[in-house]
Amino acid sequence: MTAQEFRNNILVKKPRYAKSKIPVIEAFANKGQSKSEYSQFGPIYELYIYAFRLGLKKGLKLPLPPRNSTKDFVEIGKWKRDSSLVDFLLMIVFSHSEEIGFDWNDLEDMDEKELNVVVSNIVEFIESYANGGLQYLQEEWENDNLINSSYLFVDLMNE
Amino acid sequence: MASIINSISFKNFFNYYGDFEDNTYKLEEGINIIVADNGAGKSKFFNAFLWLFYDQILDSDTKQKINIKNAGVKIISDKAKNETAVNDYLTCGVCVEYTSGTRYKYQIIKSFTATRLDENITDENSWQFVMNELEVNRTELVLHKYKPVYDENEKKKIIDKLIMPAFRQYSFLQGEEVDDIIDFSKKESIEKAVENLTDIKKYEQIHKLLEEFKEKAFKDVQKQIKANDSQNERFNNAVEEKEKIEQALEQEQLKLKQFNETLANAEAEKNELDKLYANAEKRKEFDDKLKPLRKRLREKQEEFETFLDRINNRFFDGNFAWIALGFEQEVEKFRELNDEFIEKRYEKKALKNVEENPNEYFHFLPENSPDSVSLQNMIDDEHCYVCNREAKEGTPEYKNLVKLKNRTKDKQSEKPFVKNDLKNFFGDLQINAQPFYNKLDGIKDSIIKTKEKEVELKDSIERLKKRIKSLEDDRNSIMIAGHDQDQSAKDVISSYNGAVRRISSAENKINDIIIPKINQLKKDLKLINEEVKSLNKSNNIPDGYNENYEVLSDLEEAASKAKDKVFDGMINLLEEHANIHFKNLIKNNDLSGGILKFEKNPNGSINFNYLDSKGNSVYGSSEGFQRMKKFSVVMAIISANNAEYNYPLLADAPISAFGEGFTEGFFEAIGDVFPQSIVLVKELYKQEDDMKINELGKRLLKDERVKTMYVNHVPENAEQIELVTTKTKLK
Repeated sequence: MTAQEFRNNILVKKPRYAKSKIPVIEAFANKGQSKSEYSQFGPIYELYIYAFRLGLKKGLKLPLPPRNSTKDFVEIGKWKRDSSLVDFLLMIVFSHSEEIGFDWNDLEDMDEKELNVVVSNIVEFIESYANGGLQYLQEEWENDNLINSSYLFVDLMNE
Repeated sequence: MASIINSISFKNFFNYYGDFEDNTYKLEEGINIIVADNGAGKSKFFNAFLWLFYDQILDSDTKQKINIKNAGVKIISDKAKNETAVNDYLTCGVCVEYTSGTRYKYQIIKSFTATRLDENITDENSWQFVMNELEVNRTELVLHKYKPVYDENEKKKIIDKLIMPAFRQYSFLQGEEVDDIIDFSKKESIEKAVENLTDIKKYEQIHKLLEEFKEKAFKDVQKQIKANDSQNERFNNAVEEKEKIEQALEQEQLKLKQFNETLANAEAEKNELDKLYANAEKRKEFDDKLKPLRKRLREKQEEFETFLDRINNRFFDGNFAWIALGFEQEVEKFRELNDEFIEKRYEKKALKNVEENPNEYFHFLPENSPDSVSLQNMIDDEHCYVCNREAKEGTPEYKNLVKLKNRTKDKQSEKPFVKNDLKNFFGDLQINAQPFYNKLDGIKDSIIKTKEKEVELKDSIERLKKRIKSLEDDRNSIMIAGHDQDQSAKDVISSYNGAVRRISSAENKINDIIIPKINQLKKDLKLINEEVKSLNKSNNIPDGYNENYEVLSDLEEAASKAKDKVFDGMINLLEEHANIHFKNLIKNNDLSGGILKFEKNPNGSINFNYLDSKGNSVYGSSEGFQRMKKFSVVMAIISANNAEYNYPLLADAPISAFGEGFTEGFFEAIGDVFPQSIVLVKELYKQEDDMKINELGKRLLKDERVKTMYVNHVPENAEQIELVTTKTKLK
């Protein structure tokens, strides 16, 4: 498998979120639609990446419920195309290879099947922390702890 | 015995939140100035006097005067309303103290109580109003305790004594009001002033009586003649002729009256349009200034909205990369892992190479060194130029040169040493993600800068809003109540020209045709009277009748002349005084010296013109200038009065339309005319100054004629319910 093929294997993945997080996603990602009372992100992946960061930094790892209770969205390769965002995201992910459970050099000697497992684990890693971050947002939101300001997400990141 | 207002206090009246003692302005004889920016309680201060004298306030939105009973919830301090619990009540009122002469001091309090009925504070129906009884107290100056006055007539007298109703129009000036005090197109308006100032009324009465007596005397003479037997045909003819002339005269006078009316209407229209014309121009000036400002505000607001909407974009935009905040360790870790990966990878590769080709693997020359052209030369020359030794074909040295030259080719044909070559995968990530991790150190700054930019945008929006509000207020202040402000400048100008044309044609008709005809008829009448008289004499009637008639005729003529003389004299006096005041008012302006001229119209109204130095009338000048002219006349009416003027001047921004030069002249002039002036003015306000007044304000502060000076403040950008006017006493 070439570097490009490996990369594509990751980019075609569509990360999933728990259906229970739909309200919080609708509240904070406007998907180009009308505004809500809160400061919002645009597409879902923005909120998703933000939630991932929030979960990762706060150590909130929350595995997704069974597949039927989850929903997917756009594949990673289409997240902010023509931008370095996905590269940066993968950089962060691969820096946590130990936690995900693989060694970089080992990857070069794995067969396709083994590699696919690693890719699955990577996606699961992203999903778990994003889910944890979304859970956190949801709780703060439900407990009325979110101060409605344009800097809501900046402030939340600094906490 | 002048009335001097000692103080005015407010209780929960508009922005004047709190009790009377929190909002008391102590005032003195001489000039008192209250400086206030738009919205800082200037008109509200003035409204207190409107309430006091007329039970009215001026609604600043509609520019209509409304009765205090209907003003209700509007005039109560919002803060006070907000702080009043449901079912609780508050009081809103004004209190004025004044001294009259050297003995008495009075206190007048008007107020009402409002009970809050529900949560809504601005709804009229949420409050129940009860007007409190008018409270008037009196004390002798030597004593300090007030005693209430109970008698209603007495109370009214005390209010009237502060400023007599007939004089309030001269004492009580609010902006454009000056324009309405004297309408020079109306005969009555100047007559009224002359009446107030002279005993002309008596002359008029005498003249009327004498006219009647004269008429009667003539009839008596006629009776005598008819009784006389000698029916003199010539006499009868003469009398007939006299009656004919009289009829013709009457007709001409009727015509004169009609044309005078036409003239008066045209003049009234012109004068009205003078105001509007100037106003329309002034308005356009403001609109021209407002339009680009409003556009800029809209743009700024859109920019601000977009800015706020896009703040979250900065997380993912590589130019800001906020999402990277806090990922320093990960980036470092990635680098370490990548280095490790490459190292291990080379080890792996090297081991494999060494296993396969141990002798050829290690060499110490960097790639492309020497370059392939040089190597080819060395091979061709069989000489190594690096160590300057021979390398004959076939020797190990020669072979080494060939090997070096072919090393790139060898590399290309290198066999893969791992199943999945991921070197570029990690390398590319590290290169591509640069825009994000390179920003790491600057993200906090970038957030701060974004917040600063927000503040900057907000500030510039606020500044724009303030500027617009101020211009709008100024624009509103030149609106004249009851006039159609939307009439276009073009219409105004064409109507104006029409009126001027009609004036001129009526004047021509009157002056060139009717008046000469009337004069001729009057002359004829006089002659025929002489004729009748001489016929009388030959008719042998008793002397007494003729003498009586003659004496009364002379007296009537004398009375008429005396009346005109008094009127003309007063007009001349007014003109003289008006010019003195006018000169004072404009002395700091750049106007070249013209004069104000009062000219009597045939119909008795006074034409009031400004003539330039060449004696030409100046038409259609600015609103400020028009007002300046009229204000000179108002002051002339007061100063031409023989007795001292005994009432204070209460003026709300009468100078907003003028320049600074006039403002200065205004303060000098009022000091000479009014015993006390209380002037509310915006033009002296300067936000950036420590004392909040401009240079002119500081000069006035030092002027000994200025006895007190206050500056009103309102908190910047306060919510309506927090809006409270406070004051600083500068003098």
